[in-house]
Amino acid sequence: MKAFRYLRPDSLDQAARAHAAGGVELKAGGTDLLDRMKERVDTPDAVLALLDADDDAARTITRVDGSLRIGALCTLSQIAESKDVRAALPALVEATLDAASFQIRNRATLGGNLAQHTRCGYYRHASFPCMKRGDAQCPVLEDGAVQDTAGVFGNGACASAHPSSLAPVLAAAGAVLTLRTGDKKTPERSVAVADFYQPPQRGRASDTVLQPGQVIAAVTFAADGPGAATGYAEVRQKQALDWALASCAVRLTRAADGKLGARVWLGSVAPTPHRSAEAEAVLATGSVDAGLAAKAGAAASATATPLAGNRYKLNLIDVVVSRAALAAAGRLR
Amino acid sequence: MPRKVTFTAGVKGGATRELTVEVHDLDVDPWGVDAELRVVGTDAMRPDAPLKATGRAVYTSDVRPNDMAYARLVRSPYASAKVVSIDVSAAERRKGVLAVTVLTPPGRQVTFAGQGVAAICAETEEILDDAVHDVVVEYEAGRPLVTTDDALAANGRPSGKPEVRGDPDAALAAARHRVAATFRTQVQTHSALESHGCVVVPNDDDTFTVFASTQGTESFQQSMARHLNVPTERVRVITEHMGGGFGAKLGGIDQWDQAAATFARDLKRPVRGMLDRREEHLVAGCRPDSVQELELGCDADGRITVLKGTTYGTAGNGNGGAGAANTRVYPLPNLRMEQATVPTHTGRARAFRAPGHPQGLFALEGIVDMLAVERGEDPLEFRLRNDPHPVRQVQWREGAERIRWKETRREQPGSDEGPVKRGVGCASGIWYQRGRGDFVVNVRIGRDGGVTVTNGVQDIGTGTRGVLAMLVAEELGIAPASVTVVIGDTRYPPGPASGGSTTAPSIGPAAREAGAHARQALRERVARAWEVPDEKVSPKDGGFTGPDGRSVTFAQACALLDPSGVTVSGQRRPNYEGFSGETAGCQFAQVAVDTDTGVVRVEKVVAVHDAGRIVNTLTARSQVIGGVIQGISYALFEDRQLDRRLGDMVNPTLDTYRVLGMADCPEIVAVLTTMDSGFNNAGMMGLGEPVTVPTAGAVANAVANAIGVRVNELPITPARVLAALGRSR
Repeated sequence: MKAFRYLRPDSLDQAARAHAAGGVELKAGGTDLLDRMKERVDTPDAVLALLDADDDAARTITRVDGSLRIGALCTLSQIAESKDVRAALPALVEATLDAASFQIRNRATLGGNLAQHTRCGYYRHASFPCMKRGDAQCPVLEDGAVQDTAGVFGNGACASAHPSSLAPVLAAAGAVLTLRTGDKKTPERSVAVADFYQPPQRGRASDTVLQPGQVIAAVTFAADGPGAATGYAEVRQKQALDWALASCAVRLTRAADGKLGARVWLGSVAPTPHRSAEAEAVLATGSVDAGLAAKAGAAASATATPLAGNRYKLNLIDVVVSRAALAAAGRLR
Repeated sequence: MPRKVTFTAGVKGGATRELTVEVHDLDVDPWGVDAELRVVGTDAMRPDAPLKATGRAVYTSDVRPNDMAYARLVRSPYASAKVVSIDVSAAERRKGVLAVTVLTPPGRQVTFAGQGVAAICAETEEILDDAVHDVVVEYEAGRPLVTTDDALAANGRPSGKPEVRGDPDAALAAARHRVAATFRTQVQTHSALESHGCVVVPNDDDTFTVFASTQGTESFQQSMARHLNVPTERVRVITEHMGGGFGAKLGGIDQWDQAAATFARDLKRPVRGMLDRREEHLVAGCRPDSVQELELGCDADGRITVLKGTTYGTAGNGNGGAGAANTRVYPLPNLRMEQATVPTHTGRARAFRAPGHPQGLFALEGIVDMLAVERGEDPLEFRLRNDPHPVRQVQWREGAERIRWKETRREQPGSDEGPVKRGVGCASGIWYQRGRGDFVVNVRIGRDGGVTVTNGVQDIGTGTRGVLAMLVAEELGIAPASVTVVIGDTRYPPGPASGGSTTAPSIGPAAREAGAHARQALRERVARAWEVPDEKVSPKDGGFTGPDGRSVTFAQACALLDPSGVTVSGQRRPNYEGFSGETAGCQFAQVAVDTDTGVVRVEKVVAVHDAGRIVNTLTARSQVIGGVIQGISYALFEDRQLDRRLGDMVNPTLDTYRVLGMADCPEIVAVLTTMDSGFNNAGMMGLGEPVTVPTAGAVANAVANAIGVRVNELPITPARVLAALGRSR
């Protein structure tokens, strides 16, 4: 990899200020960044080691009334083992345990998981052209490309797939990110996970709205409870140490007046976590049983724009939407 | 004078054959199948297990001599291109770069993505990495032919020399039942844990010590000496431990080894040249893909009468080696099989654990299953009728019992309730290795009772040290743990290259003979001390007994030796006419298929194998388990995915090139048939390759039994399962 300066901030605020300088790459666990730097897909002048920040809150899971706040530097293992997370949002534990390996989960963080880059083999190897790396065309869209893990939604300009399995769960749970800005007047900003991602743009590697000078500090969400439950499902080819081919989180809500609601978010099917308004509309029409869940899946996949090499993902979308919806329904009290 | 010896070879409690052979006067009598042995044929921990389990074993990639420099190749991103210009000046100017060599001068063609165009040596890996990116190469890119299909479309179908007997067309026309199908297999890369490469250390006395990850210390030594233009004995190759090879590390030095050696010689300092994971996938070998178009027919009695087909595949930018072994198991009175290799702009194939066989048996056993289904017959019954091999006849039944074939097979394929459907399938295996050569094993016994076995042979991970220790210990009447085995070093007598599953049967009989000579040397020393003729001294429990109730223990006998101890040799003698020239084997797989997602899980595999006499049953079962794991990985996951226009690999990492991990590992029941091959004094044959031959076929047949439709293309991915079920949209 290209030589870089290694910056060790004392606090997240200091990290945010250092990040504002530009040319600085944020590193939490480093499980994603290291790969990119070794391949020289990423060649930052400086790397900011967030784990050096002395910030207990960023490493802590806290219950606040009906909400849970998870510090961005919490490891995936910490989340998977937390009784509080299991009680508040069991779907998040499931999504976390589906990710990577024990070793990676011991190192990888919540913030890093949300901000990780696509696993697209074209993006990750500098010998290929890539729209996100500045080339005119996305090679995955062309005939002869390897397309099996590519996105099936929002893939007109770039067919990458967002790999986070935690993001769909947090988006479905209506989670909000707290960003540290390093700014004295407004040291914190909030952004919903649902608004955290933006479509691919030529020459921009990141999929998020995170600006220079901003660092993820925490994620806060309303716990499952009476009238709200979240389910998660994913399909992988291997049972462990593999990336999801499709994943889905569904939160079902039943208001005091009986009004039903649903939020459906898919992972690994689009350049960013993908919200399916179509599936939500179906699931809000009645109590969720196998029939309605299947309809929701079909509604979700109906709007997909698959490539020749990944049409099978439509079947998987049907399955993960349906299974996540049924899991949520099973938890709904 | 050779002596005539009669012994029984074959299966214990099964088919046997009396053999009368001429035994070399220095060799021991063959054991035969009924020999009662104390050590051989038991479970024994490999001697280096603690070292490996605790990370103390030193592999080539762990060797870091002082003042070591690093070498690496600059590689072409293009699969087919002409080098127009190559500018290495920036690399040469970089501080810490020691040397740069251009490998493909302007005008030269590159013929696969990853081909080396320049070599660089630098003080550190970091400087080296920068320097590789300093090199500016201008290419005139052509259109590469990446896939077998594209190469066929562009260049037409190459014809191979067909293997023909009988009248296949007439036999097909006359067949009572016939089926036709096309089977496809993918390119699999070896993906050994340790990459290829070496560390070359030039010594002050103009000799070289080379630490190498190689399957053949001796062939590596010879080709390295040729490259350095020095006599062979000036190059010492050491392979203390190695992290796998599967065939990709056979046959001498590679381009990157050459670069490291040249730099080491010219710079007079140690140089390390080892590949990274991406290079491993791109340039260090693979199993060729295959397209096998087959027709199979049988008569009214359900006897196979004819196989006709063509198979082709690509061995990359080389020729040959893409054949599929699909004619070898069942007798085929009428046969026409034409095999061809299709050159493409991709990295060259190399020998890969049973070349041609996993792909060939996947197709053959697939179409055999189809013919049985066509007849409405249990595929196992169909095989029992058509497979004359006396060993496999036993193995089919043993395996069927262990997988509970009758209970687990779905009479109506795909008939399970619910989306997850289960089924079982089976497939045969075949291999041929009896061992060979005239290798010499030395055994030294010290006055202190220490026993050391030496030979240059490498242990590629199969447990060679344990096998040699057990054979010598058996003859000496001592515990294998008290035998030290020193191997993997060309300063000892040459050993076999580990290819074709030949290591153990090539070296084991020499070790047994050496052990017998060592025991005889001790016996003579005891006889001299007792002042009685040799024949009055009898071995007992490692020690000896003699007239008048005299006895010595092993330690006491050793204490009688001269201060220098005693060193003896055993030699690998020519093979006898054995029981059967083939190792048999068969496997049964039970799978669960989620028909909603197309995801296949293998739940259980029963693997029944023979390899003559098994010396260490623990490491032999471990080999079976490893072969099954690699076979399932081939059946379900592994796939070298190349971009068809660019020829570069999209998944050259181990997170995207899927290899089976622990979570996907089923229950594996390894059953070893007890037998003596009759080919040598120990009755051994080779086991490493046959154990991965049947797996993909068994898994694919189990999938068909589970879901009621066939997936005749590997790997069996969710997309292919859904397509076979007609559920693709």
